[in-house]
Amino acid sequence: MSNNYFNTLPLREQLEQLGKCRFMTMDEFDDGVEALKGKKMVVIGCGAQGLAQGMNLRDSGCDVSYALREAAIAEKRQSWKNATENGFVVGTYEELIPTADVVLNLTPDKQHTPVVNAVMPLMKEGACLSYSHGFNIVEEGMKIRDDLTVIMVAPKCPGSEVRNEYVRGFGVPTLIAVHEDNDPKGEGLALAKAYAVGTGGHKAGVLMSSFIAEVKSDLMGEQTILCGMLQTGSLLCFDKMVEEGIEPGYASKLIQYGWETITEALKYGGVTNMLDRLSNPAKIKAFDLAEELKQIMRPLYNKHQDDIIDGTFSRVMMEDWANDDKNLLGWRAETAETAFEKTPAGDVEISEQEYFDKGILMVAMVKAGVELAFETMTAAGIIADSAYYESLHETPLIANTIARKKLYEMNATISDTAEYGCYLYNHACLPLLADFMKDIKTDVIGKGLELEDTGVDNARLIEVNAALRAHPVEAIGATLRGHMADMKKIV
Amino acid sequence: MTIRLDDLTVNFDERFQLNNINWQLEDDQHWVVTGANGSGKSALAAVLAGAGEIVSGNLQGVPPRVGLVSFEAQAELIAAELKKDDADIMDVIAEGTPVREILLQPGSDAALVDELVEKFGLSALMDRAFRKLSTGESRKMMLIRALASQPDLLVLDEPFDGLDAATLAMLQQYLASLVETIPMVLVLNRFDEFPDFISHIAYVDKGRLAHQVARNDETAYAELYKLLHLKTTELEVPAADPETAIPALDPTQPLVKLNGINIRYGDTTVIGDLDWTIEPGKHWQLSGPNGSGKTGLLSLITGDHPQCYVNDIFVFGFKRGSGESIWQIKQFIGYVSTSLQWEYSVGTGLRNVIISGFYDSIGLYTKATERQKQIADQWLALLGMSERADEPFNKLSYGDQRLLLIARAMVKHPPLLILDEPCLGLDDMNRQLVLALIEKICADSETTVLYVNHHPEDQIKGIDNYLELDKR
Ligand SMILES: NC(=O)c1ccc[n+]([C@@H]2O[C@H](COP(=O)([O-])OP(=O)(O)OC[C@H]3O[C@@H](n4cnc5c(N)ncnc54)[C@H](OP(=O)(O)O)[C@@H]3O)[C@@H](O)[C@H]2O)c1
Repeated sequence: MSNNYFNTLPLREQLEQLGKCRFMTMDEFDDGVEALKGKKMVVIGCGAQGLAQGMNLRDSGCDVSYALREAAIAEKRQSWKNATENGFVVGTYEELIPTADVVLNLTPDKQHTPVVNAVMPLMKEGACLSYSHGFNIVEEGMKIRDDLTVIMVAPKCPGSEVRNEYVRGFGVPTLIAVHEDNDPKGEGLALAKAYAVGTGGHKAGVLMSSFIAEVKSDLMGEQTILCGMLQTGSLLCFDKMVEEGIEPGYASKLIQYGWETITEALKYGGVTNMLDRLSNPAKIKAFDLAEELKQIMRPLYNKHQDDIIDGTFSRVMMEDWANDDKNLLGWRAETAETAFEKTPAGDVEISEQEYFDKGILMVAMVKAGVELAFETMTAAGIIADSAYYESLHETPLIANTIARKKLYEMNATISDTAEYGCYLYNHACLPLLADFMKDIKTDVIGKGLELEDTGVDNARLIEVNAALRAHPVEAIGATLRGHMADMKKIV
Repeated sequence: MTIRLDDLTVNFDERFQLNNINWQLEDDQHWVVTGANGSGKSALAAVLAGAGEIVSGNLQGVPPRVGLVSFEAQAELIAAELKKDDADIMDVIAEGTPVREILLQPGSDAALVDELVEKFGLSALMDRAFRKLSTGESRKMMLIRALASQPDLLVLDEPFDGLDAATLAMLQQYLASLVETIPMVLVLNRFDEFPDFISHIAYVDKGRLAHQVARNDETAYAELYKLLHLKTTELEVPAADPETAIPALDPTQPLVKLNGINIRYGDTTVIGDLDWTIEPGKHWQLSGPNGSGKTGLLSLITGDHPQCYVNDIFVFGFKRGSGESIWQIKQFIGYVSTSLQWEYSVGTGLRNVIISGFYDSIGLYTKATERQKQIADQWLALLGMSERADEPFNKLSYGDQRLLLIARAMVKHPPLLILDEPCLGLDDMNRQLVLALIEKICADSETTVLYVNHHPEDQIKGIDNYLELDKR
C-alpha cells in the first residue's frame, strides 16, 4: 500500500516545500535545450500530454520516441496511432527504456505506480525520470531508485493547448520542480529548464516550485473553483431557472455558454474586469452575492484544502481505485442524469453581454470560487503565483470544455483525480447552498435586473470597486498576465 | 445622350493598344479615369476626343464638341506653334500666335474667356505669344480654352497637376458649378484629388478597363483606393532590420533539397519518391489539382508536417531531424496561406501582426524594438494602411488580412517566400492588389519565391520554374 510522502516530512520541511515557488526570469533559459542535446527522450504513453509534449520537444530539436505498453502496440490503439502517424519511433518498454536518458511518464496518474514499477528496472544508471504531475511521488510515496534524477515539468493547460500555443510561437505557463531526494548529480534543474524550453513553456512563464506545492495546489484548484464550482453552479442555476418558469432550452444555453463567456473576461483583467462588464447596480448585486457565498462556502474550501494537505483526500480516492472506481463511476452516471445535462441548449440567440446581464449569480459564483480557492491555498502556505495559476488562470480553460459538451465533456477532459474531487465538492456544496438558493430569483439568474433606472449610490460603488481591486488575486494576476504579454489577445 | 464603347480596341502607335473596352457613360455621370503610369488611362480618355485608330468594336454617341485638356494636346499645340516659326523663318522674328487668338476659337464664349482669365489671374498674358508661356501658364490657358469652348463633354487629363492651392480650389469649385450642365471625364492619379461630384471611377490596367466602380459603393471604392496606391506610389519594399538579421546562408548550396520524399496517410501515398531542389534566386511555381499534396509538400519544407522527420530533407543548411529546431528553419522562410489566415485569428493590432513576422509567431509575444516598429510602419505605408496601425487584425476585410500577412512574411526579407495560393478566396480587385504587392516584392528584393497557383491569369512576372503535381 502506498505511503504518503508529504506526511513523512517534518513540519519545517512541509512548510518549506509548500512555500516553494518562484517566477523565473527569461534569462534563466538562455541555454535553451542544450542540456537535452544528444540525449534520448522516451515518452511513456501517447495521450493528450504525451503527444503534445513529444511533438514540441522534437520540433525544438530533441530526440523523442515513444514506449507504449504491449497491448497498445498490438491492438494499434489510439496512442499507437498518435505516435506512428506523426512519424515517431514506437517500441515496447524493453526496446526503448534501456536506451533512454530521460523517461517522460505521461500516463494517467492512476497508472503511475504500476508503470513506474515496470520501467524503473529497465532504466539505465543515472537516467532521469520526469512527471507532469507529482501525485505519484507526493501522495503515493513512490520511491525512485537512488541513481535516478526525478523532475517534474507540468504545463498548466490541456495537451491541445500545449501544442497549439507552441505552433503559434508561444507556449503555456509551466511549473517545474526537482524531487530533491532524487537529484544525485545535481542536474535536475538544468534538465527541467531545458525540457520547459523544449515545450515552449519558457515563453509564457515558468514557476520554479516543488512536487509538493504542485500537487497540493493543483488538487485544490481542480476540485473547488475549476470543476466543482462550475458543476455545482450549473446544476443550481439551471434548476432555479426552470423552477422560476424560464424556458429550459434558454436556461440550458445560458449556462452551457455562459461560463465560457463570463470567464473569458478573467483572462483580460481578472475578477475586476469580469465584474466591470456588469451595469453598476448588477455589479453591486454580484458583489454582495459573492460575499454571501464566500461566507457560506469558506468552511467547505477549508475542508478540501485540509483533506488534501493531510492526505485524506488521496487516501479515500485510492480506496475507490482499489474498489474498481465504484464511486467515481456511480457519480459520473449520476451527473449524466441531471436535468441540466439532459436538456439541450435551445436555439436562441444570446448576445455576449446578455450572458453577463442575465447571469449575475454565475458571475458571483466565479468570483467567490476564485477568491476562496486563492485565499485558502495561500493560507495553507502556497505562494500566490501558484495559487493564481491553479485558480483564476485555469477557470476559462475549464469553462471552455463545458461550452463544448457540458459537464460530460468537462469531466471527460480533466483527470480522474480532478473528476473525483469535483464530485466530492459537488455533493457537499449542493446542500450547503440550499438555503441561499431559496432567496434567489430570476433577477440574478435568467432575466437580469431589468431596471428602469441604473443609478447607484456613489459611496457604495466606490467601496465595491475598491474592494474588488484590493483582492490579492488581482495584484498577482496583473503581474503574471503582464508576463504573458499578448497571450490575452490570441486566445 | 449615352456614350458607348463596345468591345473597342484602339491602336495608338505600334507600342500601345487599348483592348476590348466596354464602357458606357451617361449624361448625368461624372467619371474619373485612373490607373498606374502607362496603364492607358490617358489613352482611354483621349479616345473620347477622337484619338487613336479604332481596330475593332464600336464607339457611339460621342458628342460633336469635346473639350479636351491633356499634356499631349498641349504638346501638340506648342509643337504646331513652333512649326509656324519654322515656316515664317524669313528675316522677321516671328512672335507666334498670341494667347488671345488661341483661346478664342470658333464657337467659344468670349465673355467666359475673359471671366476665366481673370479668375486664373492671367489677364496680363493675353497678348503674349502662346509659345512664350511657361508650361504652367500654357496649361492654364488650355483649361480656359476648353472650358470656354461650350463643350458637350469635358475630358480633362490631370487638370490639377501643378496648380497652386488657391487656383486648384478655384478650378474645383468652377468644375463643380458645371455639374448640372456638362458631363465630365477627369483623368486623375490621386484619390485625394477626386472631386466630390465624381459619380464613377474607371480603373485602367495594362490597356484594359479593369474595374468600374460607383462612388457610392463604399467597399469597392476603398479597395480601389489601395490598389491605386500600390500601383502608383513610388514606395519601395522596406529594408530588413539589421539587428534581427537572418544568419547568412552558403550561396552555393540549394535552399531546399528533397530526396525521394514520401507523404503517406495510413495506406495512401499522397506524394511518392519526389526529388526537388530549389536553388537561390530561382523562383518556382508549384501547381496541381486539389489533393495532389501541394500543401503537404510545402509543410515538409516549413517543418510543419510531422513526416518531415521521416524523409530525407535538407533545408537552409540543416539536415532535418539532426537536432535543429523548427524555429531555426522558419527564420529563413516567409509563409502565406489561407490556413495561416484562419489560424491568425488574433485581435492584435496591424503593426504587431507585421512585427510578428520577425519572430515567426502568430501574435506577438516579445517586446518589439523601435527599429522593428519603424519598419512595420513603412510596410503599412506601402499598403496604404498607415492610419490603421492599431486596428485589430481580425476586424479587417479578408483581402486586407491577406495583404498584411504578405507584409508579415516579407518583413524579415526571408531567403525563401512561400505563397500558397495567395489569391485564393479573393475577389478580382483584391487579387490584383495581392499580385501587385507580390510583383513589387519580386522586383525589389533578393527573396526566392515559391508560388503555389493554378490560375493562368494569376501569373507573376519573373517566375519561370514549374513543378506540377499529379493527383494519385
Ligand atoms: N490533461 C491535462 O490537462 C494535464 C495537464 C498537466 C499535466 N497532466 C498530467 O499528464 C499526465 C498524462 O495525462 P494525460 O491527460 O495526457 O493522459 P491521457 O490523455 O489519458 O493519456 C494517457 C496515455 O497513457 C497510456 N496508458 C494508460 N494506461 C497505461 C498503463 N497502465 N500503462 C501504460 N500506458 C498507459 C494511454 O495509452 P493506451 O491506453 O493506449 O496504452 C494514453 O496514451 C498525467 O500525469 C497528468 O496528471 C495532464
